[in-house]
Amino acid sequence: MQNSESEYRVEMTGISKSFGVVSVLEGVDFKVKHGEIHALLGENGAGKSTLVKILSGVHQKDSGQIKLNGQEISPKNTHEGQVLGISVVYQELSLVNDLSVAENIYLHKLGASKFWMNWKEITKDAQELIDSLGFKIDASARVRNLSIVQKQVVEIAKALSEDTKVLVLDEPTTVFDPTDTQKLFDNLFKLKAKGISIIYISHHLEEIIKIADSVTVLRDGVDTGSMAVSDTDTDGIIRLMIGRELKDLYPARTVEIGKDPIFEVKNLTAKNTLVHDVSFSVRPGEVLGIAGLGGSGRTETAKLIFGADKKKSGTILLNGKEINTNTPVSAVGHQIGFVSEDRKEEGVFLPLSIRRNISVTSFTSISNKFGFINVDNEYKNVVGLIEKLNVKTPSSEVNVSNLSGGNQQKVALAKWLSVDSKVIFIDEPTRGVDVGAKIEIYNLINEVAKKGVGVVVISSDMPEIMGISDRILVMYKGTFYGELPKEKFSEENILRYSIGKPLK
Amino acid sequence: MNLTIKEQLSSPGGVLKFVVKHNTIFIFILLLIFSALISDVFFTSTNLSNLLKQVSGIGIISIGMLIVILTGGIDLSVGSMVALLAVTFAILVNIVVLPLAILITLTIGFGLGSVSGYLVAYQKMAPFVATLALMTIARGLGFIYSKGSPITFKTPGGEFMSNFANNSTLGVPNIALVFFLIVILTMVMLRYNVFGRLIIAIGSNEEASRLSGIKVNKYKFLVYAISGALAATAAIIVASRTNLGSPNMGMAWELDAIAAVVIGGASLNGGKGTAINTLMGVLILGLIGNILNLLNVPSYPQQVVKGAIIIFAVLLQRFESK
Repeated sequence: MQNSESEYRVEMTGISKSFGVVSVLEGVDFKVKHGEIHALLGENGAGKSTLVKILSGVHQKDSGQIKLNGQEISPKNTHEGQVLGISVVYQELSLVNDLSVAENIYLHKLGASKFWMNWKEITKDAQELIDSLGFKIDASARVRNLSIVQKQVVEIAKALSEDTKVLVLDEPTTVFDPTDTQKLFDNLFKLKAKGISIIYISHHLEEIIKIADSVTVLRDGVDTGSMAVSDTDTDGIIRLMIGRELKDLYPARTVEIGKDPIFEVKNLTAKNTLVHDVSFSVRPGEVLGIAGLGGSGRTETAKLIFGADKKKSGTILLNGKEINTNTPVSAVGHQIGFVSEDRKEEGVFLPLSIRRNISVTSFTSISNKFGFINVDNEYKNVVGLIEKLNVKTPSSEVNVSNLSGGNQQKVALAKWLSVDSKVIFIDEPTRGVDVGAKIEIYNLINEVAKKGVGVVVISSDMPEIMGISDRILVMYKGTFYGELPKEKFSEENILRYSIGKPLK
Repeated sequence: MNLTIKEQLSSPGGVLKFVVKHNTIFIFILLLIFSALISDVFFTSTNLSNLLKQVSGIGIISIGMLIVILTGGIDLSVGSMVALLAVTFAILVNIVVLPLAILITLTIGFGLGSVSGYLVAYQKMAPFVATLALMTIARGLGFIYSKGSPITFKTPGGEFMSNFANNSTLGVPNIALVFFLIVILTMVMLRYNVFGRLIIAIGSNEEASRLSGIKVNKYKFLVYAISGALAATAAIIVASRTNLGSPNMGMAWELDAIAAVVIGGASLNGGKGTAINTLMGVLILGLIGNILNLLNVPSYPQQVVKGAIIIFAVLLQRFESK
C-alpha cells in the first residue's frame, strides 16, 4: 500500500471508538483532499471532536484505518501527530498563561534540538508569524494578559508554526467578531492555496457555506455522508445534522412586555475595565440583546452589574429602587442571575453531578434553617428541570464533564431557572451548542421572559441576537453606541454601530 | 449512576470495576485478612483497641484536613497545633474546671485556624504558605508555654479525662467513639448540608462558585477554623491518653493526615473526597503500622512500606478514573 499519489490527504475508514460502554463512533468514513477546506459537522456529542482527536493522536481508535498521503498511520500521542504534520486548534484553549506569546507558539519545540534558546530569534519569528496572520499582538506579551480573541489567534499561530499538512480547527470563530472572522478566513484561503488540508469544525452553517469545499456530517457517531458544498445549502445540511426538517430556528415572540422597567442601570462606570457611562433599562418580559465586537465591553458590562468586577460610579435600580450589587453574593440576593460565556471555567462544575450543579443556587428553597437539605425536594426540582430542558442524560447523578457542550449549557441555565430571578444576564447563550439544543435554549429564554423576568442576552451571533431580541443595544469601546428597535434589525445596522458609525 | 451493586457486578468486567471503584475499602479488607493470617495476636481485643486508640488523634485531624482539601486548600499547621493545644489543655486543666478547660482549648484551636483562614480567604495567601507559617508559630508557642518539657495533669479533672481516654464503652475505646462520631457528622454534613455542598462546589470550581453567588471567602475561612477546632479536639484526646501535654506531640501528623486523605481517594485539587474514605485511609495507615509492629519490623522500614502503600493506592485511583 505504498501509494503516495493518493487523491486524498487524509483517509479515515471504518473508524470506531467507545469510552467504556458509551460508543462514540461507529464505522465512520472521513476523507479530506489536498488543499481543500472540509467542514466536519454534527450536533454536540455526535463525535466530531473524538474523530479529530483520533486523527491527531489524543485518542486511539478501537478499529478502522487511518491513512495520510496513502500511508497507514496510527499516532499514539499528539507529538507523533505533530511530527506527521497534523496540527489541531482545540475548542478549549491550551495555552500556558504564564509564558509569553512567543514561548507558547514554540513551546513544542523548546529543547528539541538546541541546548540554549535564542529568545530574540524566537520572539522575532513569532512576531512575524502573527503579523502575517494580520492580527496585532505583541509576541513578547504574557498570554495571561491577552483577550480571549487574541488567545485564539495565538493558538492558531502555534498550529501554523509547524510544518503543517493537515490543520484542524475546532470551532475557531466562536469568540471572534465578524471582522476577525473574515481575517481568519483570508488566512485559511491562503493556506489552502499552499496545498494544506483544513478540517473545519463549526456550528455556524453560514460560515461553512461561505468557506468550505466539502462537508461531512456526523450524527450519533455515524457519518451520514459527505458532499461538495456546492451541491447543498443550509437547510440541506441542517436536515442531515438533526435528521429532521427544521421549521423555525427562532421561536415566535408572543410575550407581553410590561410597561415600567424592572431593571435600570444609570451611568455605570467600571473601576478596572473599559466600561463607562453605561445606561439602559429592561422591562419585565423583554429580551434585550447586547451586540458589539469582541473586546467592546459586553461581558465586562454584565460582570460589572453582577458585582464580579468593581464599580467606580453609577446606580442600579430594581423595580425603581436603588440596589447595591458590589459582589455576586449581593447580586444573587437581589435575584439577578448571570450565565457566563465561559461555560467550563465559570459556568458549570465539571467534576460534579448535574444535581449538585443545579442545586448550587437554590439551597435556600430546598434546605431548612440549619442548612440541612431536603433531598426529596432537591431531586424533584432537579429532575423536573432536566426534563424541562431536555438534558440528554441517563440520570441526575451523571457528572457534567460527561455531557456534551449543549447539555452542559442547559445545566448552566438550569442553575438560574431553579431560583426565581428578576433579571437574568445570559452571555453567549449558545456558544459551541448544536442546532437542536439551540432551539431548546431559545424556547427556554422565551419561557423565562413570559414569567415577567427581564432577560439580557449578549451574543456575537448576529442571526441569533436578531432572532430572539425585542430590542438591541450595540456596544462600542466600552459604552452603548446605539439602540436598534426591532424594525431596524439588520446585520448591517448592528455592524455600523459596532464600529462606531451612524446608520445610513 | 444509580446501578445496584448486583448490576454493577454483573456488567462485563464488573467485578474488577467494582473493586477498583471501592479500592480503599478493598485495600482495608485485604490488609485485615493479611494481618489476621500473619499474626495470631492481631485479632485480640487488646491489640484492636490499641490500634483504634492510636489512630483516633490523627483520624480527627485527617477529617479537618479533608474538608480543607475539599476546597482545594491544605492545612500544614495541624500537627503543631496538636502540640500547642495539648500543652494549652494540660496547663488549663490544672488551673480551671474541666468543662472550661475544654471550651477554651477548642476556642483557641478555632481561633488559630481562623488566622490561617483569614490569610487564605481574605488576604489571598497560598494555603501552603499561610499554614506553613502557622505550623512554625504553633510549634514555637508550644515550646515557649511548656518551657520545653511535658506538663502532667494534676487535678481530678485531669484524672477524669485520663480515665475517659483510656477506657472503653461496649468494647470500643471512648476516644475512637469520639473519632467515629466526628466522621459520621462530617459524612452527614458533606452529603446533606449546604455547608458541605458548597465547600465541594468551591473546590471543584472556585470562579463558578463565586459567579453563582456563593460566599466563597466565608467558606474558605470556615474550613480552616474548623480544622483548627478539630486539631484542638485531637489535642485534648492525645493529651488525656498520656495524662500530659508535650510540645513534641503531633510531630509530622499533618503529613500522615494528608496521606490518609489521599489514600481515601480525595483530590488535592479539591472537590473530590468523602469522610468514609478518609476513615478508611486512616485505618489503612494505622493497620500498616500495627501489623509491622507485631512483626517486629523497625520503624525505618515501616516508613518505606507506608510510602509504597500511598503510591499503590493513588495509582489504583488513576486506574479508576480511566
